[in-house]
Amino acid sequence: MNAPLLETRGVTKRYGNLEALRGVDFHISANEIVALLGDNGAGKSTLVKLLSGINPPTSGELYARGEKVTINTRQESEDIGIETIYQDMAVVDDMEIWRNMFLGRELRNALGFLKEAEMKSMTMNELSSGVDISGIDSADQLVGSLSGGQKQAVAIARAVHFRKSILLLDEPTSALSVRETNKLLDYISNLRGRGTSAVFVTHNIYHAYEICDRFVVMSHGTKVHDITKAETSVDDLTQMVINS
Amino acid sequence: MADTNGNAQAVAPSRITTRGGLRGLLDKLLATSAGNIIVAFVLIQLACIIAGLIWSEQFRYLSPSNISIMLKAIPTLGIIALGVGFLMIAGEFDLSVGSIYAFTAVVCSMLIAAGLSAWLAAPLMIVVGAAISMSNGLIAMRFLLPSFIVSLGAMLFWKGMIFFVHGAQAIRFSGSESFKEAFAGSLGPIQMPFVWFFVLTVLFHFTLRHHRFGNHVFAVGGNAPAATANGVRPMQVKLICFALAGACAALSGIISAARVGSVTPAQGGGLELQAIAAAVIGGVALTGGRGSMIGVFLGSALIYTIQDVLLLMRAPGFYLDIFVGALIVFAAIANQLVGRGAGK
Repeated sequence: MNAPLLETRGVTKRYGNLEALRGVDFHISANEIVALLGDNGAGKSTLVKLLSGINPPTSGELYARGEKVTINTRQESEDIGIETIYQDMAVVDDMEIWRNMFLGRELRNALGFLKEAEMKSMTMNELSSGVDISGIDSADQLVGSLSGGQKQAVAIARAVHFRKSILLLDEPTSALSVRETNKLLDYISNLRGRGTSAVFVTHNIYHAYEICDRFVVMSHGTKVHDITKAETSVDDLTQMVINS
Repeated sequence: MADTNGNAQAVAPSRITTRGGLRGLLDKLLATSAGNIIVAFVLIQLACIIAGLIWSEQFRYLSPSNISIMLKAIPTLGIIALGVGFLMIAGEFDLSVGSIYAFTAVVCSMLIAAGLSAWLAAPLMIVVGAAISMSNGLIAMRFLLPSFIVSLGAMLFWKGMIFFVHGAQAIRFSGSESFKEAFAGSLGPIQMPFVWFFVLTVLFHFTLRHHRFGNHVFAVGGNAPAATANGVRPMQVKLICFALAGACAALSGIISAARVGSVTPAQGGGLELQAIAAAVIGGVALTGGRGSMIGVFLGSALIYTIQDVLLLMRAPGFYLDIFVGALIVFAAIANQLVGRGAGK
């Protein structure tokens, strides 16, 4: 059996007295889409941030393709091939869309000056293909002038553009319209064919059931269920989340 | 750009209406972070020039000597304000720049008096200025303190250090002729301090708007957690900005020492607040993440224009405080309105 793409073993995260994660074993394999379910405060976002490197674990081990790794910075998670859509979107309101899109990964010449025209046209391409959110006319708009859904679209477009082997999506549909949500769900379920795995955090069990291969239910910082699609149903999953 | 959007544009008609002609140009201008200050600056200059033409005997705004005095006076504050403004965009303050300005100029003069070449002493003291400001940043970030408080302490500390290392008497700045020529001479009709100020403005502007580092500065000042989530390191970015602020303060101190020919240990007091004022008048947000170097340039120039106009009208000195004080509040209100327009 191949080693999982990414794996946590006994991972714990403490914030002072609060144990946000308690000995979590979690893994994701190649071409797999895993749903991360659970009530508010279950530790889903904490786990996502931990895997993205912006919130390193207090204890426990991480493995990428079978090798022990540390993910203590965003740089390290990027090297492993992780791309994240954060719940709070992680965009800078006072900056233009294209600057947000390429933040930290600017296209630049040998002297470090920005290739602006190139980044702007790539930004518009990504926004009009991919998830296709309406109402964004120019890559020069400030992100602060966008609606919640449009901001989320920018965050999605960024992750999609730089997508490598693992995409972490923390409630990516919370501000999207029905049409946009369906487009994103389509996109995620097509990821398998493109060699990208995904972790999909959501409160919507129907959405999760529609596109995911496996379901991990969390409660109070621990993993309480880990079950494949063949073994469960929407009703079962709903009961698991409610009763956990 | 509407046409690069391709077919998505078909379902999304543009909801941004743009006005044509002069009003459209004004709209565009006011939407930029330096827009307010550009409009205000141009209007005030026009008023001064018209007044200078009509009452050319009483109000000698356009006389060569007045223009020359202005161009000499602006860079001292202006160069400091560039560094302070840059740092403010990254979301931090350094109140010790006035003390750095005096300390580095005094020690530079001492080193030259002890026999070191000005060409070595000046760069050395610019590095020292950068290091002082960086240490403020390091302490603030290491102990999670507001840089405002840490640098307030540093302001007093380094002011005291001037008297500790040198005493209270003025010191002669006796740099070589070539050094004085380069920092206090003139290039054609323009004095070198102003040339330095202008060159630094252009350099900082391009760094901020068109270089990767500037992109990170705006991100760190605008939303540090988001910057971190995208792989930018706020601490590293801010420390470089602190270094720039300190280096600018030292450069300004050395330039004015070279221009005047001597340094008084007490000079530089109040410059830190004037620099913040120039930055705010120029459209830099006190909360970080917004601002421009063109704005800071004009903000510094505007403070001196007001000072100059009051001098020409023989108004008592306290009028300057009244005008600049009111201007700071107006500028802050204008910045706030622009910020809200961007959806904040």
